Order: sequence, then C-alpha cells, then structure tokens
Amino acid sequence: MTKKPFKTVGVVLASSLLTLSLAACGSNNNNAAPSGSPAASGSASPNKGEKVTLTFQNIYPDETSPSAKAMHQLVAQYESEHPNVKIELDTLNTDQQKLKLKTQAASKEIPDITMVNPAAQMKPFVDAKLFAPLNDVLDKNGLKDTYQGGLLDNYSFDGNVYALPDGNNIEVVFYNKELFAQAGIDKIPTTFDEFLADVKALKAKGITPLAIGEKDTWTGSFLFMNILLRTNGGPGFLKDVVAGTKTFNDPAFTTAVAKFEELVKAGAFPDGATSIDANAGSNIFKTGKAAMFILGTWETGAIDSSSVAGKVGAFQFPTVDGKGDLNDFMLAPGTGFALSANSKHLDVAKDFLNFYTLNLPKVQFDLKNAVGQPQKVDGDLKAAGYSDLAIEVMDLFSKVKGGDLSFDNTMNPAVSQVHLNALQNLFVQSVDPAAVAKEHQTAFEANK
Amino acid sequence: MRCSFVFGLILSVYKEATVLKVLKVPAHTIAVFILPALLIYICIVFIPIGVSFYTGTLDWNGIGESKFIGFDNFHRLLFNDPFFWPSVKRTLLYAVASMVEIPICLLMAVLLNRYVRKANTLVSIYFTPVILSVVIIGQLWKTIYNPESMGGMLNGILVSLGLDSWTHNWLTEPKIAMYSIYLVSLWQYFGYHLLIQFTGVQNIPSEIYEAAKIDGADGFKADRYITFPMIVPIFKISIVLAFIGSLQQFDLVMVMTGGGPAHATDVISTHMYNSSFMSQQYGYGSAIASFLVVLCLAFTLVINYVMNKVERKYT
Amino acid sequence: MVNFRKGLVYLLIAVLCVTQLYPLLWLVLYSLKNNEEILSGSFFALPKTPQWHNYSEAFHSGHYTQYLTNSVIVTLSTMVCVILFSAMVAFAITRFRFKYGNIVMLVFLLGMMIPMQATLLPLMIIFKNAHILNTRWSLILPYIAFSSPIAVFILSGFMRGIPNEIEESAVIDGANTYRIFWSIIVPISIPPVMTVCILTFINIWNEYIMAATFISKEALKTLPFGVYSFVSQYSTNYGDIGAFLIMGAAPVILLYFLLSDKITKGMADGAVKG
Repeated sequence: MTKKPFKTVGVVLASSLLTLSLAACGSNNNNAAPSGSPAASGSASPNKGEKVTLTFQNIYPDETSPSAKAMHQLVAQYESEHPNVKIELDTLNTDQQKLKLKTQAASKEIPDITMVNPAAQMKPFVDAKLFAPLNDVLDKNGLKDTYQGGLLDNYSFDGNVYALPDGNNIEVVFYNKELFAQAGIDKIPTTFDEFLADVKALKAKGITPLAIGEKDTWTGSFLFMNILLRTNGGPGFLKDVVAGTKTFNDPAFTTAVAKFEELVKAGAFPDGATSIDANAGSNIFKTGKAAMFILGTWETGAIDSSSVAGKVGAFQFPTVDGKGDLNDFMLAPGTGFALSANSKHLDVAKDFLNFYTLNLPKVQFDLKNAVGQPQKVDGDLKAAGYSDLAIEVMDLFSKVKGGDLSFDNTMNPAVSQVHLNALQNLFVQSVDPAAVAKEHQTAFEANK
Repeated sequence: MRCSFVFGLILSVYKEATVLKVLKVPAHTIAVFILPALLIYICIVFIPIGVSFYTGTLDWNGIGESKFIGFDNFHRLLFNDPFFWPSVKRTLLYAVASMVEIPICLLMAVLLNRYVRKANTLVSIYFTPVILSVVIIGQLWKTIYNPESMGGMLNGILVSLGLDSWTHNWLTEPKIAMYSIYLVSLWQYFGYHLLIQFTGVQNIPSEIYEAAKIDGADGFKADRYITFPMIVPIFKISIVLAFIGSLQQFDLVMVMTGGGPAHATDVISTHMYNSSFMSQQYGYGSAIASFLVVLCLAFTLVINYVMNKVERKYT
Repeated sequence: MVNFRKGLVYLLIAVLCVTQLYPLLWLVLYSLKNNEEILSGSFFALPKTPQWHNYSEAFHSGHYTQYLTNSVIVTLSTMVCVILFSAMVAFAITRFRFKYGNIVMLVFLLGMMIPMQATLLPLMIIFKNAHILNTRWSLILPYIAFSSPIAVFILSGFMRGIPNEIEESAVIDGANTYRIFWSIIVPISIPPVMTVCILTFINIWNEYIMAATFISKEALKTLPFGVYSFVSQYSTNYGDIGAFLIMGAAPVILLYFLLSDKITKGMADGAVKG
C-alpha cells in the first residue's frame, strides 16, 4: 500500500520522458525534411549559398485583394532573385493572426516576419523585446524618405522603429449620392445637427442611414472617436487622459457619448447592428442598402468594385456644436510589418523587408490600390484610370491638418475592451453619459 | 489529511464499478494498457491546466514580464467582476436547458420506436445538424434571427402571421439574445440525444415487453415500468454529455454574438477567452480557467452521485 | 382516437425532418447564389442563375485538395490512436483487478470538461520545447488527448457489460491478457467503436483554433483554413464560403451515412448493458 504508488509514479515519469524524447525525435525528422525550418537550423550566420526559410505571417487571405496580389508578386520576385531563400507564407484572417501572434509571443517564438497593429497595440511586444529594431532597414536604399512624414512615429519606441506600416488611412464619411437624392438631401452636412437631420430624413424614407457591423466592436468605436475629436475641439483627448490632465468625466467625452446616443435613438444604424460582423456591415453599404458608411479610406477600392461604384462620394465628419475642425481626421495607420528579434536569419529577413517595402508603392499603384498607402506615391491617378471616388479621397488626404489614433491604439488592451463593450452597449440600451464616463475612468485607473 | 479525505470521497462516489473483475494482471501489463492514453492526456491536458492554476496567480499580459500577485486575480474574479457571475449563471442555465431536453428526446425515441417501422433513417436525418460545422450553423441561424429589415426568416414569419408585436431583434436584445443561442444549441443537439436514447430504447429485448403484456402492462404503462428503468444508464451518458457540451460551449457563442451585446451573452469560456486574449490579462483569464476546472470537478462528482442513486433505485 | 394520435406523431416527425434537414438545403442554395442574393436574405428562393463557378473558385483558391489530404491524414491517425488507446484504457479499467481504476476513470472524466482554449498558451510553450510546433504531431497529440475522455467513457460503459464468463473461459484456455484484448474484446466492441469514430471525426474535422495556432506551414494546413481564408480582411465572397463549406462537410456526411446503421447499434450496446 505504501510502496506501490511510488513505483507507479516512477513508471509514469520514466515513460513520460521516453514519450517526450520519442516525440522530439519524430519531430526533428519531420522538420528537417522539406526545407530546414528556422527551428531546426542552428547557426546564426548564413552565408550566401545556405538554404534559408523565412516564415512570413500575414493577414491577406483573400487572394483577389490587391494587398494579397502585391504580396504574392513581391515574394515570388524576391525568391527568384535569391534562389537560396524560401518565404513560407502563413496566411490568416486578422482575428486569428492576432490570437496566434499573442500565443507565439508567450513562448518567445514569433515568426521571422509578422504583422502588428501600431502604437499601444504593439507596445507589449516591444516591451518584451520580441521585435528587432528596423533603423538599419530604413537607412538602406533611402527607404526612410519614402514614408510620409510623421507616420513612422506610430511604430517607434525610444527612438527605434519596430514596424513598417502597410497602409495609412483616414476616416471619412462615404455616402451614396443616389440615396441622398431620394431623401431629398441636396448638400452634404457640415454640422452634426445637419447630419442628424439627414439621418432622420433618410430614415423617414425607409433607408438605413448608416451602415455598421458592430459585432466587431471596433467599428462603433471608430465612429465614436470622430465625434470625440470634434467635441474636444481638436486632437489629443485620450493623450491628455493618459497624461492625467483630463479625465473621462470631461464634458468633451460625455457630450460625445450623448451625441452618439442621439444617433442611435434617431435610428441611424441597421436593426440588430450588434450581431452584424464588420464584413457584413460594409456589405450593407456596398449593396446600396444604406446611405452612409463611416470607416477608413481603405474601403475605397472595395467600394469601387462593388455594385454602388460610381454613386459614392466622401466627405469630412461634421463639426459638433460648432466645435472641432473639419480638417482634423481620425487617423488609421495600417498594420505594420515587424521582424522577430530572435530570427535565425535576421539579416536575410531585413534584406527582404527592405526589398518588399521599397517596391510595394509601385506594385500597389499598378494594382489600383494607391489610396491609403503609407508611402509617397508617384504618378497621376487620373491618368492611371483611378475612379472619381479615389481622387476625391486623395483630395481629402491633402487636407489633413492633424488627428487622433483609434482608441485601442492609444489605450492599453484592458481599458480598450471596457470601452468597446461600453459602446456596444449603447446600441442596445440607453445609458446616462456620465455613467459611461465613470465606467471608462474606473477601468483606466484600475489598469494604469 | 485533507487529501486523503478527498480521495475517499471520490472513491466512494465511484464504488459502483465493483463488478467482479477476473483478470489479475501484473503492474507492467496495467501500465502497457493505461499509459499511452494517460501520458498523452496528462501532458496535453493536465499539465496545461496545472500551469493555468499557476498563471492565475500572476499579473501577466501573456507576453512580457509577469508579477506574482497571489490570489488577487481570484479575489477580483469572485468579488469584483460584474460580468463573471452572470456568465456562470448563463453557463449553468445552459447546462440545465440541455439536460431538460433529454427527457423530450426520450419521449420522441419511444414514439419513433412505437409508430415508425424503419426509424433508423429518420434518426440519422435528425442527426445531420450535429455533423455540420459551427460556422455553418451560426451563419444559418443568424439569417433566421436577423431583423425583419434584413430579411430575417423568423421575424418575417411572425409578420406574415400578423404577430408584428412578437418580432424581436433576437440576437441583439440583451434580455433575449442568450435564449436565442440556447435554442440553436438545443436544436442542434436534439438529434444527438435522440440518437442515444433511440438506440437505447431499441435495444431493450422485445421479450420483456411481451412478458409485460401478458401481465397487462401495455403502451405507456409498459414504458413506465420497463423502458424508463432500463434506460437509466443511457440517460446518465446523455446527461453527462449534455453537461459537458454546455460547459464547453464556445464556438457557437463566438460565431453568433461574440459574447455581446456588452457581455449579455458571455458564458464562462468566452469570458475567459476575451479576458486572456482580448483584454490581454492572461493571468486573470487563467484564474477563470482554474475556476472552470474546479466547477467541472464539483459537478462531475455531483452528477455521478445523483445518477448512481437513481440507478440503484431502479436496478 | 388512435388514428388521431398516430397522425399527430407523423406530423411531429415530418416537422422535425424539415427543421433538421433545412440547414443542408440552405447551404446548398447559399453556395449557388451570388453575394447580392445572399444578402437580400430570401430563404427558400432559388438562385436566379446557379453560380456553379463558386465551386470552382472555392476549389482552386481554397487549396482544397491539399488541405483535404492533410485533414484526412491528421484525422485518420488521430482516430486510430484514440480508438486503440481508449479501448486499452477502458479494458484495463473495467476488467482488471486494479485499485486505481476508478481514479484513472475520474481523471479522464474530468478532462472531458476542460475547454480547449484554456490550454492553448501552455501547449504552445510545451510544444516549442518538445520541438513539435509546425508538425502534424502538434495537431494529432492534442486531438488524441481531447478525444480520449469521451471515447474511454463510452467504451468502458460497453465493456463493463461484457459477461465475465467470456474471459474466464479464455483464461482457462490459456490465453494471455493481450490475446484476450485483441481477439475477444476488440471484435465484440466494434459497435461502440463506430460511435467513437463518428464523434471523434466530427470534433476533429472542424477544429480550427489549434490548427491555426500550431501550424504555420502551408503544406500542413487543414481544411478549416480554407474556409477562413475566404473570410478576408475587407471583403467576403459568401457563395465561395458556402461552396467550400459543402466540400468540407461532404466527407463527414458521407462517412456518417455509411456508418450510421452501425452507430445506432453502437451507442445502445455501450450503455444498456452497463
């Protein structure tokens, strides 16, 4: 009775070790066979002829999209110029990629090349020293000067750049001219009151005023931040909160919540918005079932290839109670390409990234995807056959005077989740703005 | 001391399996039979859960540095998280709802067995929703539940019946959304439990019924005295499977509402997932996972205890 | 009165047929529509012109054959291991005179209830240290682990009911334990094994979170990747997804209807005799 358990434990341990080592052997064989993956190859200094495999984790699963086409084209080109390098694409949809990267980060084993959101969302990875600084990549071949001024700040920490963006967008109001005409609206709104009146006019005609897919909570937050940008009289509200000079109980914030609730009450959004995912939400607009759509300019290309192409224009988010500047925009710097600091072939990865980002603008331009690029684009859009909408949007870009980043790019994830859920709640029940502010403030203080 | 008490409790619950066993085998034979599954199982399931108990005591975002904070996460979970207990309640209600479904499946199984000659095909048909992936089920039911303006079928039917006041935003009204999801799950697993019950009913030897008939027990009277007692063991399987299914329910909620609107459809597992990976409070998420494991342990024991009582009463 | 009752039962049966078969019909229609028809949300409407090209698109851009092969390899290896190992454990628990059988059973029972998502991050670390990330092992091992409990549960329920005399006579004939297991117990356990087969298959076939997390190599990815690969960042072709879902579900549906007779037997044998 006393002796036996120990014996059994011994057997268990011994055999578990055995199984583990067997499993390890099996895996080595498996790994080595096709390509010598990063995990298998030991030495850190690859010479020219050595076979190198890089894993490139990306968020371009739709092979018909310009971003995916550009990626496949550039990867193929690089591989043909460097026959010893193989780029293994690990293509996932956005949500899954975020989950996977976080899980990989826990084991300090992130892919050679991966993608990450800017500012607050990439900070935990940088703090954990998982990303390699890219300053030397930017210095090579004058890559740094191709980026739009100030953009790289969103990816920089302590003077080092850790990711290179795949886009740079602003938020605008897309509107369907045909549906506006049906509701008898002849001018685009420049104040929130006009905007609200238009919403009501559209609603009265049985047209859904604003498309949204609030199951993905960031969509509502995007819209809300536009209002906050105005009620605050300009950018910087969240930064001030972080700095401690303002709190969420500030009237700028509560007014923004109240205005947002006015939109909900006026029936601006589709029924059941909180169960519609972001894709389905944008499809409501793209199939001509909603009159307006407030989102990043990355939608431009997709709108142009949808059934409402040619009927869509874009305008700036209106001022609220006379506050704010039309030329302040919500800024949406794109997901950035980052390199693993522990990559076995960091120098090759850096060379590839330099090649990739140098050539991306031209490839994207040819693929009719020049709107919202992070880099300066040379070429005449009109001559290249871009749509009126694309040119209109590019024109709005030129008006950008300043702006804010989205909530989850400014605040830490825990506070962001509270914010996103609180906003989603506004879609289904009315809450006192002061209570919403308090919830934010409490979460902020608990997660400083 | 306490440890041996727990073991005693566990063993007392499991005493039922004291069928006289014939095979006296040496320890190494036992090891050969048990260890392959047990080792894989321990490495893949038990060690990670053990790790979760540990990470539950950390302030950790899952990526960078971690800090030991003792039971702070557990304290916050039990006393300071306004969304946790509601999610436990929803999970348990889920479990109760799926268990309530089982007698209905049994009744249906009895009916099929009595009125339909080749019921096997029907049972197979009823099983189809189980084999489809949750992605399909979720998409389908979203289109059924959609608001009328988006062509939702359920609301469309209600309107055409003149029951306009009955229409709802089934997945977005906080008070209704969770029940809408329960319904989908009950619908999907109806065939599953029906299949289990049906095969149980079918395998009761017909001689027993014939004998009962001679004694004057027929129809539902025979069910009362023969079918139900004989089906108790099967019932136990169904109950356990239903309970497990409801605790693990994750995919369906994620596909249909993601736990929203504003936590209104959060169950324990989605709350855990969102805390761990969305809020990036991995330590806190681990505390939720640990709680879930303890809850599972408690309920496994309770279910076994109750079912053994019932079994003993009937057999 | 009897006829009325009978009629009622038949009505109930028919209604259930419609509700339970509707998803398949819906999916087939869905896969043949274009985005606009799908979003307009009419339910029984047939597609104006069936979009057969959804299938060819899904077939080509979803890497169907490659993912299918991987899914089949992973699923089959898992099923073989699950059935063999679980049958062995169930045999040991129910037929050996061995004190800790109940504890082993409890350990497995408990595992049935642990949600997979909770183990994701620890597994990542374990697999990294065992160097099996990005290999088929990183899917097969967790799939075995998460499928075994239910298998042990069902199989032990069945084996508990096998009369002792069978082994007694085998022992008298001089058969050893392995012989008894392999030539007596396994053959008569085929029905519940079928049940385990289909339950395991269904669970593994559609699994995505682990597959997406532990596998990065294109050459090793499984079918659910295909489905999600259509759900891209900014646009979605719903018809393609429908087509891919049908092609992905087809093997399960086929297997199920091939095995369904045996399954209905298996479940019952497992439990009633226990």
